[in-house]
Amino acid sequence: MTTATTASPRRNTVSPPMRRRRSKTAKWSALFLSPAMIVIGVFTVIPMLMTIWISLNKWSMFTSITDMTFVGLDNYTRLLGDASRMQAIANTGVYVGLSVLITIPLALLIALLLYFPKLKGKGVVRTLLFATYVIPTIAIVIIWGNIYSPGYGPLSAMVSAIGLTPPGWLSDPQWALLSLVIFNVWQMLGYYVILLIAGLTQINEELYEAARIDGAGLVRQTWSITIPLLRPSLVFVILMTFVNSIQVFDPIYLLTQGGPANSTNVVGFEIQRSAFQYGMAGESSALAVSLFLMIVAIGGVLGIIMKGRKR
Amino acid sequence: MSAASSTAVRRRLGRSVQYVLLAVVALIPLFPLYWLLISAMKTPAEFSQIPPTWFPSMPALEPTITALTAVPFVQSMLNSIIIAGGATISVLVTSILAGYVFAKHQFRGRDALFWGIIATMFLPPIVTIVPLYYLVSSMGLSDTYLGVLLPWLANAFGIFLMRQFIQDIPDELIEAARMDGAGEFRIVWQFVVPLLKPAIVTLAVFMFVYAWNNFLWPLSILKSEALYPVVLTLNRLMSYTMSFEYQNVVLAGAVIASLPTLLVFLVTQRVFVAGIAASGVKG
Repeated sequence: MTTATTASPRRNTVSPPMRRRRSKTAKWSALFLSPAMIVIGVFTVIPMLMTIWISLNKWSMFTSITDMTFVGLDNYTRLLGDASRMQAIANTGVYVGLSVLITIPLALLIALLLYFPKLKGKGVVRTLLFATYVIPTIAIVIIWGNIYSPGYGPLSAMVSAIGLTPPGWLSDPQWALLSLVIFNVWQMLGYYVILLIAGLTQINEELYEAARIDGAGLVRQTWSITIPLLRPSLVFVILMTFVNSIQVFDPIYLLTQGGPANSTNVVGFEIQRSAFQYGMAGESSALAVSLFLMIVAIGGVLGIIMKGRKR
Repeated sequence: MSAASSTAVRRRLGRSVQYVLLAVVALIPLFPLYWLLISAMKTPAEFSQIPPTWFPSMPALEPTITALTAVPFVQSMLNSIIIAGGATISVLVTSILAGYVFAKHQFRGRDALFWGIIATMFLPPIVTIVPLYYLVSSMGLSDTYLGVLLPWLANAFGIFLMRQFIQDIPDELIEAARMDGAGEFRIVWQFVVPLLKPAIVTLAVFMFVYAWNNFLWPLSILKSEALYPVVLTLNRLMSYTMSFEYQNVVLAGAVIASLPTLLVFLVTQRVFVAGIAASGVKG
């Protein structure tokens, strides 16, 4: 904010000493930017362009890159005809959709509970929730792999205790993907709760007081004040949930390897498996580009929603 | 009953409901963590009981000791410290320098360049894993610490976070330092860095946790077990002990591998959580 207001008049009236100083800092701008720019350029931007190029070629990762042959959109048309990989795309859609649908309402309810009432111990609960975010995913995989294990695991024991027959969780094609979604929600919930609480702190208290004087109840206040004003934070959190869950890899690789019956095969896992296990770099890259396009599309839609609201 | 006392009752009832809800929410993170801890302390015999027991009848250190000795666990913890520590220091330096330029220097195309970098924040690493592997191995750096570290030496989130915080530093302060003849390096080191403590803590913890926990990239680029970070060693321990009686050893390993990041988080959590929160609302 301060930079915008003080910098713009300066730009219009460049005094001679100012201009000299700017050319002097130009050298420093370049010097200070170059380490970050080189790393991001070489290890993110160039690989992105290479992914696009490789996706148009046939290349086995196990051979030299000189063996690469241009095949145009072949990898993409093959992708459309490959039932297993198309299912990976569908599974990713379900995984992302369920993650968003479960995480966002749950995170919002918890954020409201942890922000508004004056309760003792909410700080501790917030810390606990956030703690799951800093534990290595593999450790969480191990915990949940055990919780889900039929017979030995507590979840099956609890379900049996109330007289129901527990499903095979990760070994049941009907349940496996949902079990992985629950795992993801558990890991990321605290992070989103923190972001939403931060959004809640931005809302002017006086609005609630005014609403209360007008006789609005808690539900009405939440619906008419909190949710609309929290929209930027909500959109941001939806975007983060989306970007985080669309690239899921670790739990699939470690727990299910895409099974049973391809029910947990997702794009992130298929990209890695196609390339590193089967060597099919072209097919893998075509999937990677598809994943990237999905992110751009959803990001665009969320961006438009954000812009529309600001106006 | 008078109206006043009925509202008092209702308020107390509301409060109790809120506390019950709070307790339920607390159980979400607590139960799996509790289960991890007690399972890691069960003897193999107790561990394989059906149905499972809810308290370890004889808390045992044996699974922890087995985890530490069955695979080079200590070595891999050191490897993780080197990798995560190196990445953290580098990201701090590159992000502060770039964030300073984006916040306080003027040049044509600055904002376009900045938003171009920010866009890379939404590019999942899995999308570029194949060419990244190819690039790093053709540099002859596959199976080295440097190979693991190179892509982690700078990132868009760090630059974004630092720019946000440096923008809040008054321009007058930097102008005054320039009047006094301080060079750009000295301005950053002597005037900017001391004001960035919360941002530095936030970014350091974030990057340390990210590099410590990352599984995909080391899995792709490392071959020698001597170089494995702890997450890969834990994976090896998992495949070692597929038979069920030893799963308590894997769980004990998971506890040990999680301790450093949990510890770092608990020590810094006030600053870290506030910093992460600020990164979301200021965006």
